[in-house]
Amino acid sequence: MVKGQIKIQQMAFMLVALVLFFILVGLFVLGISFNGLKKTAVSLENENVLLLLTRIANSPEFACGESFGNRRTSCIDLDKIMVLASSREYENFWGVGAIKIRTVYPPEKEEVCSFSNYPNCNIIEVYGTDEGEFQSNFVSLCRKEVINEESFDKCVLGKIMISSGGVNE
Amino acid sequence: MKKGLQISFSWLFAIIVGGVILFLAFFASSKIITQGQYTVDTTTAKQLGILTNPLEMGFESAEKNTISLPSNTRMFNSCENQGTFGKQQISFSQKSFGKWSEPGSKVSFENKYFFSNSNISSKMLILFSKPFEFPFKVTDLVIIIPLEESYCFVDSPSEVKGDVSNLGLENVEFENCSKGSQRVCFSKGSGCEQIVDYKTNSILKGQERIYFSGDGLMYAGIFSEKEIYECQVQRLMKRVEALSKIYQDKESLLVGKCNSNLGSSLELLKSQAEGLKSSQDLLSIEKTANSIRDLNGGAICRLW
Repeated sequence: MVKGQIKIQQMAFMLVALVLFFILVGLFVLGISFNGLKKTAVSLENENVLLLLTRIANSPEFACGESFGNRRTSCIDLDKIMVLASSREYENFWGVGAIKIRTVYPPEKEEVCSFSNYPNCNIIEVYGTDEGEFQSNFVSLCRKEVINEESFDKCVLGKIMISSGGVNE
Repeated sequence: MKKGLQISFSWLFAIIVGGVILFLAFFASSKIITQGQYTVDTTTAKQLGILTNPLEMGFESAEKNTISLPSNTRMFNSCENQGTFGKQQISFSQKSFGKWSEPGSKVSFENKYFFSNSNISSKMLILFSKPFEFPFKVTDLVIIIPLEESYCFVDSPSEVKGDVSNLGLENVEFENCSKGSQRVCFSKGSGCEQIVDYKTNSILKGQERIYFSGDGLMYAGIFSEKEIYECQVQRLMKRVEALSKIYQDKESLLVGKCNSNLGSSLELLKSQAEGLKSSQDLLSIEKTANSIRDLNGGAICRLW
């Protein structure tokens, strides 16, 4: 082989090695940046869930308003929530994976609420069937009850639970 | 002499390959910087949405917050009124090396209502919220103003002065207007960019007129562009429609326990909200909303 041909062959190998090197460096940089991006997305979703938890009970779809006397904070109208849970319009409205409401005290039968068993149940799945990690906050849950044909307000202690919906997994 | 001009093959090869490698390196790094900027802009938009959560679902009558941004930033506010609730969309673009970056991805929210101009640039944004009740609480309207933009309210009623001072809006002044501030007149006057008319519940912005119902929408109208305002009013009516349906269904659920007799009035409100074409229609819907407010207030069993 001529000396010049050997040199060209050497250069070709060098070029292939260089290209491979840069591809590897590029992949490494991309991997790091995507990992950072995922972490940012997860922390943003968690931040959203935590901020929503503290305030969602006061949003018009959940809040007691003046249905049970004076306006109170962190009070959820369960009758309204039963209606909301049956509506499909609100899917994606709050931008979270799932929202559930559970009575804590006094303890009720462990059962998901439907119109047939309400109010003798303790979990209302407002929307989403996500079984991921839920964050929760204590709230008061109020509803109208009738005893001896007399209507009165009944409030119990409960929890509102929100999951971020998939970004964490 | 001739020998001096000759370049060996290896030198020529090294120069060409070196040039290609350098070009690729510059190209890749500029792409990475642009991508990074795009990510930052998109993250900022998402963060702004999250940071407004406390403003929106508040119990208070009004709240204010300021958000300072790392560099001079442009915010693009857009509104879409298609779908069940429509969408609030925002995107950001930041100034780096004296040039505006390409705006980041549009971040959408169904449960937010931002009132501002469609394009604002500032290093600090002032956000304040005002509740919107029609007749029940619908949402808190979030109004966004850049710190650099100043307004001057002329002949404003005492309630407005009280509201502004309670909120601590530093870029709104009264009567003695400084140069460069936008004059908002509450009675007929000269040199006014905007005229608020309480008799017709409307704001004349240049040649265009928008209509409002309640203080919240009045502030929203002053601080936002007509297109954004009209689109957000349509989105608000979609929410009124959905909430009316919830209250109607709640009333049906409570039959026998507690009667409110608001069903037919809520049906009327729902159909009027559905038929809203522009903010001018708010005036007729407001009458229905007010009568429902009175009925609910007087009911033994209040629906809200």
